[in-house]
Amino acid sequence: MFGVGFFLALAFALFAVGAFGVLTRRDPLVMFMCIEMMFNSGNLALVALSRYLGLASGHALVFFVVAVAAAEVAVGLGIIIAIFRTEKDVNVDHLSELKG
Amino acid sequence: MGLREVLLAVFAFGALAFALAVVSTRNTVYAALEFVAHLLCLAALYCLLDAPLLGVLQVMVYAGAIMVLFLFAVMMLDIQETGRESAFQGPGQVAGALLLAALLFALLVFGADRFPAAALAPAAAPGAPGVGADNVVRVARALFERGALVFEAVGVLLLTAVVAVMVMAKRRLEN
Repeated sequence: MFGVGFFLALAFALFAVGAFGVLTRRDPLVMFMCIEMMFNSGNLALVALSRYLGLASGHALVFFVVAVAAAEVAVGLGIIIAIFRTEKDVNVDHLSELKG
Repeated sequence: MGLREVLLAVFAFGALAFALAVVSTRNTVYAALEFVAHLLCLAALYCLLDAPLLGVLQVMVYAGAIMVLFLFAVMMLDIQETGRESAFQGPGQVAGALLLAALLFALLVFGADRFPAAALAPAAAPGAPGVGADNVVRVARALFERGALVFEAVGVLLLTAVVAVMVMAKRRLEN
């Protein structure tokens, strides 16, 4: 039952849940968490395939993904806080500063 | 069904359930704590999938450092102000997003199903030890032999992120 297909299906389901969250939530922090969830579903697929194929290179790739996610979170949360400092509002629907 | 299968089922279910909880909870702090639980379930899955190093890394970097950053941001932002209206977009948008997410899932499953099985044949010999044996050594070899250049690039990326955050914070102080 717990073959590589099970974990790929779980990873796809987590990716879909994360995409749904990004599209529907108004709070940018929760949207960020959902983006992280999509990162993590990719990691889960990599780990499952690594085990199935017997290769450690997938684990190295997950290492890089985690590092990139950490950098992304640091910059993203910095931007959100900077916006909140000037706007006093973090509802993503009310942000139209970059509108052309 | 052995202990490993039971644990796999529990943590797989936990990861999915906590993911759904993150998406559906109104309160941002609760969502963050549920996300920590989701990450811990994934860390347990990594350990069960012969990736103990990544399991530890997941707990330390994700559940530790990144989530502390998230909770810090929640503390900096006043949640009361955002909590007044609905946490979700309008019903039409939710329905559309649901449809899109279901389509995405179907597309991924379809794509994985159509992927040629020959390309996914295990590279290691059938009797060879799994990826869990000497895991740290093998990951280190993959990281520093074939991925050394990428490793350096990631270092530059992290440095760039640190500098970028400092620049943003400094501008705020000047105002």
